[in-house]
Amino acid sequence: MNDLPPPVVDYLLAIADDKHLMGQQHAEWIGVTPFLEEDLAFCSIGQDELGHAAHLYALLAGDDDTAIDELAYRHEPGAYRSCWFVERATPIWAEALVRHWMFDAADQLRWSLLAGSSLSALADLAQRVEREERYHRLHSDTLLDGLLASPVAAEPIGAAVTALAPFALTMFEPVAGEPDTVAEGVAEAPFATQRDAWKQRTEARFAAACTIDWPDDPPYGDNRTTRSADFGPLMARMREVIDLDPSAVW
Amino acid sequence: MTATTSLLDRCRQAIATVDDPEYPGVSIVDLGLVESLDVRGATATVGLIPTFSGCPALDMIANDVHRAVSQVDEISTVEVKWLSAPVWSVDRLAEGTQQQLAVDFTVAVQIGTGPVLCPRCGTATSHLSMFGPSRCRSVHRCESCREPVEVMRS
Repeated sequence: MNDLPPPVVDYLLAIADDKHLMGQQHAEWIGVTPFLEEDLAFCSIGQDELGHAAHLYALLAGDDDTAIDELAYRHEPGAYRSCWFVERATPIWAEALVRHWMFDAADQLRWSLLAGSSLSALADLAQRVEREERYHRLHSDTLLDGLLASPVAAEPIGAAVTALAPFALTMFEPVAGEPDTVAEGVAEAPFATQRDAWKQRTEARFAAACTIDWPDDPPYGDNRTTRSADFGPLMARMREVIDLDPSAVW
Repeated sequence: MTATTSLLDRCRQAIATVDDPEYPGVSIVDLGLVESLDVRGATATVGLIPTFSGCPALDMIANDVHRAVSQVDEISTVEVKWLSAPVWSVDRLAEGTQQQLAVDFTVAVQIGTGPVLCPRCGTATSHLSMFGPSRCRSVHRCESCREPVEVMRS
């Protein structure tokens, strides 16, 4: 498939799976957000996340085009490396918006560790990702600036932050291959080194809505090898079309 | 050597016939999507870059390029790749393309943070929505004719 060391595959899969599921979650809001501009925004932002995931899956698939679908849709649940935060079902709009902000804030910190990657394709991709993510962050910050100025809107946003905060920390859960990936120079440092910076940004962003009570022990699984309860239904929706005819060529 | 140069040129011409699906009549070359072309023997390798990663037309564009270059005499194998670098920007638009987008599609182009002028009446526009009907365009509104204006930007 590729000539990458297994720990690096493990590491890249976590980023790809996070972006893949986040893109899907955003896409599920198309047509049902509170207003048209948000439909367009969640559509475009979701497409970018899926695009980033596709590029990473392509890196992992090497010359084998069919391997991309295998990675994205046909893995056994235990072979995915997504965090529980992106697997979580968020039928509440405030939670979808807060997660959009939280994920993109963490994503910025994550890719900042890859800008000088020894894997040149990843360092290149970091530049394109940052140029696109800039728009995502501008979008969520602009909307939150407006909403948090209103006590009526700040209340559900505060409730969403409180509900999501423990799960959001799972974004920083490492995969088993991360130490070797850092040793290889593929990533500058473990992602968890950015966790405190992210928490501070999050507290500052939502200070008008709530005070965040972080759990002492983040609800980590086992190096991202176990899936949360929401993963099954999400993956079933994602596979709905591909399962209609598994032999179809796309 | 002469023959190889000519083959390269014919591959270039074939790629230039591929239009962007969003803008029929506008070549992907003029939009700055083509980054590299390498011809060795009967194998042509084309390197493309997307305007944005989220563009849903990437497969369609790559297939169109594959088809066009495959029709070049003496070419038997075509590889089309989406490259991880460089990052696309509106600076890659060919001369005249900005005008073509304005006239044929009423799409404006924002250079840097400069003003966006209405493609219909030339008046300044105001920002309406960061995201538009496709990933590569946001939406402004003309202050004079009040029409929405789609804007390509880096």
